Amino acid sequence: MLKSKRTEIAVALVLISPFLLIYGVLFIYPTVKMVQLSFTNAPLIGAGEWVGIKNFQRLSFDRLFISAIWNTVYFVVLSVIPSTLLGLVVALGVNRLKGWVQSFVLAAFFLPYILPVSVVFRVWSWMFDKDFGIAQNLIAPFNDGQHISIFRTVPLFMPAVAFVTIWWLLGFNVLLFIAGLRNISTEIYEAAALDGASRWTQFRRITWPLIWPVTVLVLTIQLILQLKIFDQVYLFANGGRADATMVVVQYIYKQAFQQSHGGLAAAASLVLFVVIAAFSILQFQLLRARGAT
Amino acid sequence: MVPLGTLGVNSIDASIGRSAKKAAAVENTMGGFEVFRKILSTALLTTALYAGAAQAKDTIVWWDFLGGGDGVRMKSMIEEFNKEHAGSVEIQATTLDWGVPFYSKVQTSAAVGQGPDMMTYHESRMPLGVSTGSLSPLSTDELKASGIQDSDFGPANWKAAQGPDGKQYGVPLDIHSIILYYNKTLLKQAGLLGDDGKPKGLDGLANWEAALAKLTTNGAVGLSVATADGGTIWRIFYTLLSQQDGVLLKDGKFLDGDNLGKATTAIAEMQKWVKSGWVPTKTEYPASIALFTSGKAAFHINGVWEVPTMVDLAKKGQLFDWGAIQIPAIYAHPATWADSHAFSIPNRQGNPVDPAKRKLVLDTIHWFNVHSLEWAGGGHIPAFLPVQNSAAFKALKPNSDYSSLATTAVFDPVSVLAGVASPVYDAAGNYVLPATNGEMVPADAAKQMRDDLQSQAK
Repeated sequence: MLKSKRTEIAVALVLISPFLLIYGVLFIYPTVKMVQLSFTNAPLIGAGEWVGIKNFQRLSFDRLFISAIWNTVYFVVLSVIPSTLLGLVVALGVNRLKGWVQSFVLAAFFLPYILPVSVVFRVWSWMFDKDFGIAQNLIAPFNDGQHISIFRTVPLFMPAVAFVTIWWLLGFNVLLFIAGLRNISTEIYEAAALDGASRWTQFRRITWPLIWPVTVLVLTIQLILQLKIFDQVYLFANGGRADATMVVVQYIYKQAFQQSHGGLAAAASLVLFVVIAAFSILQFQLLRARGAT
Repeated sequence: MVPLGTLGVNSIDASIGRSAKKAAAVENTMGGFEVFRKILSTALLTTALYAGAAQAKDTIVWWDFLGGGDGVRMKSMIEEFNKEHAGSVEIQATTLDWGVPFYSKVQTSAAVGQGPDMMTYHESRMPLGVSTGSLSPLSTDELKASGIQDSDFGPANWKAAQGPDGKQYGVPLDIHSIILYYNKTLLKQAGLLGDDGKPKGLDGLANWEAALAKLTTNGAVGLSVATADGGTIWRIFYTLLSQQDGVLLKDGKFLDGDNLGKATTAIAEMQKWVKSGWVPTKTEYPASIALFTSGKAAFHINGVWEVPTMVDLAKKGQLFDWGAIQIPAIYAHPATWADSHAFSIPNRQGNPVDPAKRKLVLDTIHWFNVHSLEWAGGGHIPAFLPVQNSAAFKALKPNSDYSSLATTAVFDPVSVLAGVASPVYDAAGNYVLPATNGEMVPADAAKQMRDDLQSQAK
């Protein structure tokens, strides 16, 4: 008995060893290295000297880093909850369609998701262009008939990038919600309808509680994704008031690749890593607990 | 040659790879060893021929960041080079993304012994390249061996490619700057066009502002500038600062002493253009060009690299009668921001470009300088004096109308914080840009720019 258990463990180890190896080399090792790097004054390439917690002290006084954290939080608020709710609404609508119409509408919502970010940037920077953009026709009536530069006006920047991001990534949320909705048995709805439940009651009492696990999943995925926001903000802000709208990963990029401050960039990455880990665990636990009660 | 019959299939497999596998498969199915032998010897022969050809022909791996109108000209020059050296040398060129992506890729690849044999490099960005050890120094002897000598270049231009150690890290190809493009029709209507077809009466602050006011009519604005682009803003700001003898960086101090006041004056002037309606606010780079080429702006300030855009449009008959001159002396004396494209050899760690290849690369660099008249077609001013002083270049329009700027050109400050896509460029976007567009008080913008850059200097 004991022997066979040992064999089992050995077999299990052999079977999971490729994963462990890849995980160790591609994830654990770089993470350990990054933590080490964050305590040195290393440039982008090469070794540095041990400087203790100096990088972290510098970060805590760096106005740019602190504003980058707030900008990131602001972007998360603007994008995560709206894109989750909108995903659910669209999924509920699409779910009521039938046959090829449903496939067509679903594909239409999913199409932007397959675009690379550079294309998304090009499309929307032309749509919103101050002088020639087609969207200016819709915006101008709200601004005394004047065209307005969306991505060079600081208060409009984050909402506009959040809007573009939601447009771009919504399809994925819709897909997850549709999968969740299809898991709910139609018998429950039929029974509720027999009891005279209205559509709203059906949604509130049946759909919402049963779709909750999917909602938690979508929220968590979105939260992690948007805390790491970089591409869109970098592209749209490039050449403008980049500091005013800087997000954390952009700060890391600036320090590491433009200024060759590898140690400081590693310290900032570590802070972001801890924040993301804490936030996602907290959010997942909180939301799951609420769903259970 | 080893008799094929004595070799096992496995060792053949390893030695010539796929073709042997194919051949072995043929043998198995057909059963005829002769067939296998024939195919194998053909494969070996082809491999031998290919290896021979590769030995005779050297390749130069080339990276550049020339993605604009001038990049098209560079590609045709590379084709010409390859045609001229057919059978002996071939340039394999790759165009990468301009700015921070290019320079971080060069740095990271050099550090691991990868990357090209040669590359283009902005002289303004060399301080960072030298400080990170990404560039390989070029000795006077090896330069001389390829016919490259400092007396063939302007002294400031040549020196800008040197590190703090006094070593040469690049060979300049051109000088490029910003110029004033103008619409002859609109200028004539306003009485601002001289008999020689060039604008008149633009020098001095009062004249310049009066001209902009006069040219701003119902249908058009006086001047179009990419007021939403930090790079453009930087080039104009630095021009106006230099025309007042202002200095951005001296002895490790940014905008020291009365330079702060001069910077404020420059920013306030740019703000005045926008506030007075002479220059449209927050205009994107492509839109600023479109405003000019569609006749909605009488003047346009932009880099010489947009000359091909105008030349090509005019060739198609889609552009009015246009011209370009040096930026007028709005303040004390003429001065214009300038930068220079140069060629460099990366310092590939543990895998340096070998001496024979270095010689070949330097020969190639010299070839491009000797042929830089064609590069001037991209709007640039050749760095190589024999071409810059040649009758052929002096006859080249519109370059010859603005090439005088080279004598009063002001290069970016020599600092790891300055140059293309540097913190200085970013600071222009963060402070001068909003001030120009009326979102910040000029004095505050200048002060914040100074403090920000000073805090980044260690």
